[in-house]
Amino acid sequence: MKSEKKQSILSIRKLNAWYGDRQILINLSFEVQRRQVTALIGPSNSGKSTLVRCLNRLNDFTLNFRFTGEILFKGRDLYASMVDATEVRMQIGMVFRKPIPFRCSIYENVAYGPRISGVNTSVRLDAIVEKSLRRVGLWDEVEPILDGTPDELSIGQQQRLCIARALAVEPDILIFDEPCGELDPMETPKVEALVRNLKADYTLIFVTNKRRQAARVSDFAGFLYCGELIEFGATEKLFTNPQDIRTEQYVTGKLG
Amino acid sequence: MDKSKIVFHSIALITLVVVFLFFWYLIENTHTEIGQQPTANSQQPTADSHLYLLLPISLLAILLGVACAFYLEERLPPTNWFRRLIESEVAIFTGIPSLLYGLLAVEIFVSYTLGSSGQGWGVLFYAEVLTFIVLVMPLTIRTTQAALRSVATPIRESAYALGASQWQVLSNQVVPLAFPGILAGCCRAMSRALAAAALLMGIHTWGYTHETAISAGIHSRYVLLLVAALLFSTFFSFLKENPT
Repeated sequence: MKSEKKQSILSIRKLNAWYGDRQILINLSFEVQRRQVTALIGPSNSGKSTLVRCLNRLNDFTLNFRFTGEILFKGRDLYASMVDATEVRMQIGMVFRKPIPFRCSIYENVAYGPRISGVNTSVRLDAIVEKSLRRVGLWDEVEPILDGTPDELSIGQQQRLCIARALAVEPDILIFDEPCGELDPMETPKVEALVRNLKADYTLIFVTNKRRQAARVSDFAGFLYCGELIEFGATEKLFTNPQDIRTEQYVTGKLG
Repeated sequence: MDKSKIVFHSIALITLVVVFLFFWYLIENTHTEIGQQPTANSQQPTADSHLYLLLPISLLAILLGVACAFYLEERLPPTNWFRRLIESEVAIFTGIPSLLYGLLAVEIFVSYTLGSSGQGWGVLFYAEVLTFIVLVMPLTIRTTQAALRSVATPIRESAYALGASQWQVLSNQVVPLAFPGILAGCCRAMSRALAAAALLMGIHTWGYTHETAISAGIHSRYVLLLVAALLFSTFFSFLKENPT
């Protein structure tokens, strides 16, 4: 237990969140372990996306959003007045459900992040682009068409391009918000394998509403239901020996 | 860069240069002074010279309108009272025919500054400038806002998630995507300014005839209607529920 505590990179404490008068998250507390995959599962509308959007301050732009509680990243409060939100987002990246490449070449898509953070020599950019694309296993497929538009790629390739784009800024934590939601069954295993593979260098948070997928990729899992964190723990334990009746119903398919 | 892109860019550049030269020619050849009196049987010269000067001014008004739209759409939340006020006024102003603008200009800008003294045709010019700005800006604001809004939120969020600042997201992602829409809006506004001859006629007719034929009654009623409409729109913009 003590060694686990040391490894924690992100801790969420008593998080409550509202959109207007509607409460979305109710008193959540959990820890995200360094270099592990933490899955958040639960039926749709249970607040999973809201939760992860709090973690990299994307909710700053959402109207009528407010929250109470603390989110500590490496021991520092993410929402402290001294913290720059863009820096937070550079360290805590995000991949969305639908792959949305920017309207420029494949190369520029991956180079965009490093470019805006100040890398501007073409040698270094080339190296970063190649490294990121190799990491997601896309380099061999797109090398001849680096200057082409991403529209030519399949949706799965586009999603991996978006992952490469997020990796290019070297975040500490990478959040996947249902990354396979739009993908076909042929592409999904590739992304899942990639997630397991990325664990060696990054801390990953994986949001999904497919319970089997969470069981396949994650080390820790949390079950969210109607804004409450019903149960959080090691994935194996959560799936084989759930403590709460609702968790058991969910993982066996009776609920949600 | 592929060839078609180069071709398109050069076409755009050439068009721009031609338009610029056209305006330049017009301004250079407008010898008539602003304060010139119309001749006894025609007010054509004054109206013409004014038109040539007004179009470039409208262009400036369009740029100002685009800037306003950026401020409203990107810097203020939709619930902000100032944004709601401006948006409702813009909605009213885009629907008003240009003839009414002419009457408005006469009633508000001319009569109150010029009075009935009949001095100074220069005042008419400034009235026209103000009216053209009021005519052109709302349309520009509206179309530019629509173009900015058409850029999908996920694109902005993807850029934000990479650590881009608000300015970087706007300049690198939003503006390139919204640019065709913004340009189309500017063209619409410009064509509206071009078609606003009725406005000039309204002002100049009054300028020429005010000593003999002015009966303030008809103008006043139009303006009263307009002001009532504006008041209503302002009122309802605050009654409207908060957009979320």
